[in-house]
Amino acid sequence: MDRTTPVEISREGAHDVAIQWKDGHRSSYAARYLRLACPCAQCIEEMTGRPLLDPASVPEDVHPVRIDAVGHYAIQIMFSDGHGTGIFTFDRLRELEGEG
Amino acid sequence: MPADKKSILAALSQIMDPDLGRDVVSLGFVKNMTIDGGKVAFDIELTTPACPVKDQFKSQAEQLVLALDGVDSVDVNMTAQVRQAAPQAAGLQNIAGVTHMIPVASGKGGVGKSTVSVNLALALAQTGARVGLMDLDIYGPSVPTIMGTEAKPTVEENRILPAEKHGVKFISMGFFLEEEKAVVWRGPMLVKMIDEFIANVEWGDLDYMIIDLPPGTGDIQLSLCQKIALTGAIVVSTPQDVALKVAQKAISLFNSLKTPVLGLVENMSYYSCPACGEKDYIFGNGGTKKAATRLGLPFLGELPLSTKIREDSDAGEPTVIADPNGEHARAFQAIAAQMAAQVSIRSMNDEAAVKINF
Repeated sequence: MDRTTPVEISREGAHDVAIQWKDGHRSSYAARYLRLACPCAQCIEEMTGRPLLDPASVPEDVHPVRIDAVGHYAIQIMFSDGHGTGIFTFDRLRELEGEG
Repeated sequence: MPADKKSILAALSQIMDPDLGRDVVSLGFVKNMTIDGGKVAFDIELTTPACPVKDQFKSQAEQLVLALDGVDSVDVNMTAQVRQAAPQAAGLQNIAGVTHMIPVASGKGGVGKSTVSVNLALALAQTGARVGLMDLDIYGPSVPTIMGTEAKPTVEENRILPAEKHGVKFISMGFFLEEEKAVVWRGPMLVKMIDEFIANVEWGDLDYMIIDLPPGTGDIQLSLCQKIALTGAIVVSTPQDVALKVAQKAISLFNSLKTPVLGLVENMSYYSCPACGEKDYIFGNGGTKKAATRLGLPFLGELPLSTKIREDSDAGEPTVIADPNGEHARAFQAIAAQMAAQVSIRSMNDEAAVKINF
């Protein structure tokens, strides 16, 4: 479980996000990449997983403005475009890192 | 020559805490030592008054210190200070004054979860701990029946004062619903009720809050894990395969929400014959224990299927109160002690939750 347990979530550069994991690994996520990866039902079709979010509609300079813990398993990110319904589980964040 | 503090501590450091895996001196349990000639007195401050090895520690400490040169008498005073769990991530609520919140869950209904919750709460209170009980089982809130219906919550200046009986403070949806009407609520209403019980009930200072959950893995379980800083959950099952399979769903829910599971309790392990006292393992023997081993979780103990426990619960005189020294009460007390030990392990070993610096 160390692989998907974060120790610290911090700011990297102006707007990017860094996660230090318990297994020693450190991940970085570009601000806009996280917004495009939002897993909420407005951005991803619930049943099929089809993306509903049009990347062209997302401002180039979109970035997280606030990050809150959700239980012990996820974070919720409020973005500068007013979107904040996505719950990013730690499992998903660790996977996303490899894709970004 | 009288013994000095150093040699007494050296002797006491031979006492290992089996749960925390360290000796009582390095854990900082030995306090307020006084040496007056040959008279030695000190406190051993445990992490829970329900410590399963409390008596053993006391007699070990007495023997070890008495064996030292220059000691004529020793007075060991056992105390307890329930320690706070590791700090929680921002965004999770605590109920002010409540140290450990422990939900009791089951996959399937009818496994005796409420009877277990009530008796665990009372068994903890019997050890001197300050205990609360929150009945969130809205579909069948049975805590008021089991605790005895005469105790009622009251309202004072818009705050709810919980009912109190046998030294346990408790609140239940059963107080606010008509007995024979079904609760037809959607998720958001359930979540509002949890908020109410958390924010508007005057719980006071508590060491342990036992939370009786509805069966299953629905809105209440999810919301509770998302909102409240829980120490860890207890999962109750009966030994049948079908019940265990469903119990595993509850465990998997807590795992995916990264809420620790403190351990499994097996209820209705065997039928305890009131005539001859023989144990009949009607649902098969040892199923929950095996499941716990396989899942790498502590097994906290087994409880019988007994007419007496059922009668006590229906009569509002729970077993640990009705017959505190009986065999069944002892089973509940042993499970409460094991649970308290697991809570202590969590509080001593747990690393701080994730830090968010954004």
